[in-house]
Amino acid sequence: MSTSTLTRPGARAAVPSKGGDRRPRYGIYFIALLLVGVIVAPIAYIIIGGFRSNAEITQDPAGFPTQWRIENYANVLGSPVFWREVGNSTIAAVATTLLVVVLGVMAAYVLARYRFKGRNALFSVFTAGLMFPMTVAITPLYILVRSLGLMNSLAGVVIPQVGFQLSMTIIILVPFLRTIPTELEEAAFMDGCSRLGFFWRMVIPLSMPGVVTVGILAFIASWNSYMLPLFILNSESSYTLPLGVQAFASQYSVDTAKVLAFTSLSMIPALVFFSLFERRIVGGLTGAVKG
Amino acid sequence: MTPTNDSVVQTQVAKAESAQGGGDAVASPSPARGHARRRWALRTEIAFLAGPALLVFLTFVILPVIIAAYYGFFSWSGYGPATDFVGLRNYVVILQDEAFQAALRHNAIIVVLSLVIQGPIALGLALLLNRKMRFQSGLRVLIFAPYVISEVVVGTGWSLILASNGALNGLLDKLGLAGLQQDWLSNPSLAIWTLMAIITWKYIGFAVILFLAGLQGIPEEILEAAAIDGASYWQIQRRITLPLMGPTLRIWAFLSIIGSLQLFDLVYIVWGQYVAETAGTSTMATYMVSSGRNAGSYGYGNAVAVVIFLISLAVALLYQRFVLRRDTEGAVTGGNDN
Amino acid sequence: MNRRTILAGTTALVTGALLLTACSSDPGTDGASGDGAVTLTLWQNSTTGDGMQYWQDMADAFHEQYPNVTVEVQSIQNEDMDGKLQTALNSGDAPDIFMARGGGKLADVVTAGQVMDLTDKLSDATTSAMGAAMSAFTIDGKVYGVPTAVLPEGFFYSQDLFDAAGITSTPTTLSELSDDVTALKANGTDAIAVGAKDAWPAAHWYYNFALRECSQDTMNKAASDRTFDDDCWLRAGEDLQTFAATEPFNNGFLTTSAQQGAGSSAGLVANHQAAMELMGAWDPGVIASLTPDEQALPDLAWFPFPEIDGGDGTPGAMMSGADGYSCYVNAPAECVDFLDFIATKANQEAYAAAFQTIPASSEAQGAVTDPALTKLLEAYKSAPYVMLWLDTMYGQNVGNALNVAVVNMLAGSGTPQDIVDAVNSAALKG
Repeated sequence: MSTSTLTRPGARAAVPSKGGDRRPRYGIYFIALLLVGVIVAPIAYIIIGGFRSNAEITQDPAGFPTQWRIENYANVLGSPVFWREVGNSTIAAVATTLLVVVLGVMAAYVLARYRFKGRNALFSVFTAGLMFPMTVAITPLYILVRSLGLMNSLAGVVIPQVGFQLSMTIIILVPFLRTIPTELEEAAFMDGCSRLGFFWRMVIPLSMPGVVTVGILAFIASWNSYMLPLFILNSESSYTLPLGVQAFASQYSVDTAKVLAFTSLSMIPALVFFSLFERRIVGGLTGAVKG
Repeated sequence: MTPTNDSVVQTQVAKAESAQGGGDAVASPSPARGHARRRWALRTEIAFLAGPALLVFLTFVILPVIIAAYYGFFSWSGYGPATDFVGLRNYVVILQDEAFQAALRHNAIIVVLSLVIQGPIALGLALLLNRKMRFQSGLRVLIFAPYVISEVVVGTGWSLILASNGALNGLLDKLGLAGLQQDWLSNPSLAIWTLMAIITWKYIGFAVILFLAGLQGIPEEILEAAAIDGASYWQIQRRITLPLMGPTLRIWAFLSIIGSLQLFDLVYIVWGQYVAETAGTSTMATYMVSSGRNAGSYGYGNAVAVVIFLISLAVALLYQRFVLRRDTEGAVTGGNDN
Repeated sequence: MNRRTILAGTTALVTGALLLTACSSDPGTDGASGDGAVTLTLWQNSTTGDGMQYWQDMADAFHEQYPNVTVEVQSIQNEDMDGKLQTALNSGDAPDIFMARGGGKLADVVTAGQVMDLTDKLSDATTSAMGAAMSAFTIDGKVYGVPTAVLPEGFFYSQDLFDAAGITSTPTTLSELSDDVTALKANGTDAIAVGAKDAWPAAHWYYNFALRECSQDTMNKAASDRTFDDDCWLRAGEDLQTFAATEPFNNGFLTTSAQQGAGSSAGLVANHQAAMELMGAWDPGVIASLTPDEQALPDLAWFPFPEIDGGDGTPGAMMSGADGYSCYVNAPAECVDFLDFIATKANQEAYAAAFQTIPASSEAQGAVTDPALTKLLEAYKSAPYVMLWLDTMYGQNVGNALNVAVVNMLAGSGTPQDIVDAVNSAALKG
């Protein structure tokens, strides 16, 4: 993947440069600024709070640090527990993403480009997955994971997550794969490609934007997943970050500043990951929202 | 993925954007010789491609729900096997329970307000971000940021900000607006709006990204033609962009409705499981956890889960039937197998 | 009714997986392996420094004495404990040693056959040292757990704030308490901190009013028939409603948590932002962890719940909790050795020091030095009778309904009658 792919030529203004818009630009920047303020304030509060002392937060909840203390952050960054949790979260998120993408693309390809009896029924079964969040099925899920001997392992978190992510993945990918032109397919068959060959050589590369989109959504969902790990992971060595945040918050409940520092650091990786791929998400969804 | 391919897809997308909102672009295998052999080959391919996903999905999503439905017919405290079969009693109690009715009401309010509040704001933001401007990419990241941060973190942060002696009231005090200080979380006439503010802040990014994708799909030629004909910016948005955005808006509304019906984490973390009820922010999912798991009534909790599922399904089916019918074929209702 | 008839017609995969779960009554993991090495997993609810350290120390000391046994300590957030334990027990994947709260909650586990009967297994030394504290873990004459702490309840208050408000003696009646609340509020602090976000701290107010209004027999009878048919239950609700109408609780008490962070009710007392709270004997330890310097609050003192006129309860009766530990039904025999081990005088004294609370062993109670706890211990020893928390005694189902109803009433969306009704209809949700 070269860097040039990160700049999509498709990002175009909805308004041509001539005509239509003669209003000054300041208004827009003002609105944008206001918006940034509203959205960023709570996040900034969490991050800046990590630089304050507890006494300050208790006495004056809405203030700036009188002096910027970095020890809260330094402590968290220097603790092996934090890095172990980052590692666990990363493993779980990457594994979930890969599995969701591979299984999702394969299934979506069938639903988008094959005609067979029961295709719509199959699609309905997958979309039905949107109707129940994990909360609903958590007790039976726990029993299931246990009888498969996956307790306390990241696999016990990853596999159910893949199942629950498949619905959204397939709903986004199917319309996307449908838009791949029939002419291409016919041309490929002329060249003696089988359908599977066409799948490997054309579909996978062409559906990249969609794949990136569902990949990011799966990654973020896994990174932030709380309910399932709470039940599956009991030993601290297998904790993921959200559990770590919780455990940390109760262990240092007195120390709001420390908790804020830990919290800020735990959201950074997902934010960075997202900003790297942000442009591609829009491209990926363009196919999906066509329906 | 190269830029060239991208534009190919783009034009195809534009092509597909026909008056009926996209047709069925399924390639049918050419009716060739050796019917039976081909059919078997096809079946093998289908099984090979869709099998793994279906297996994982059935085992970890559908099966737990079936188990939940099974336990819903029992009075079961969660220890040992369920033996006390009570038939439909759990369901009768749920539907008569005032606390559940209240939760259902709150869910309905959240569904409607989410659409009414988020829709227009997100559309405006998407139009704004779709223009050429500096820091565009940075802005997008910022708007999407709350969606990326986990509910645990968001909940912890907002709890600190909104507490009676938290940052928001502290800020008002500093600005000399002490008169505006409120009990943001536990005042029943305010709490639902506080919740809506948090929901909007957290999920608006998702709507904006979807709408941006929809806007990208609108063929530029149409807009240019309209501009040349002397249409103003607002006329173009109203007459051309909005109608063409129809499918996108309807898909987003669908996802938003389903999400609102199943809202859990944010309420649970910010309000806790008990105060949500009195503050008027309880949802069906928080009711399920507090009257099921926390009361040690697992059978009852599983019955609530089934009710949530049925309500979501009913709403989804109605929505498909009357709103989405023209956009997607066969998502849930199973359209025609042309 | 077996699962197969109900689910006939579902795919083979579904049935197969269900049968897998149907036979989940296989013996649990006993961790025993060929060479006699045994691993015991322990779930406890302390997530802060000294408490966590105590359990780790116990595990290490036990391992020294029994080299073939390793104890794995896992900390579970107190508010998550019951739910996680339940899920773990019903899937046959329980920890070998787990925290038990006694009463009806423990009875639920006993009924399901998930907990080991310790009646003839514990050493005589343990049984005699624990004495009356054993009763919370005794069901139908059989012992299912070993208590580690007794947690009687009353008001923990800040002497400095009381002095500043000109209060010279602690209140003994409800009207005196109301006068003190007025004086404290006039002095500019919150009078009483309540962590109603967690529900149980608010419900404890109702329990104590019920303790004053209802006779011992009435309260015990309710434990077996699980209905509130005596008039005293309604009177207790009315008392609480009348008292709450004077706005004695801290600003925003409905969204205040009990013990998490400086903004919790314990944190408000620790930082002198509220003068008192109604809590069990664990409170000095929690408050100490929340003071700015993380040391015990020097001016912390204690007084019992005030008496009221015309109630059926005996004056001096107390509400109390009991923390203890039980063994999973399929745990290795070494589990009992571990329970005997933590019940020894030295280890109970270490427990009292680590948690700043009252140990269950009467032999170790001499180790209590904290002035507030000493006063509490005297009241406990001279109490005519002690009642277990109602939500523990009446079991999880009734207890949860009761707690929720009390919070509803305090939030202004329920009545005393609603509390009684909630309890009487709780069984329907069984």
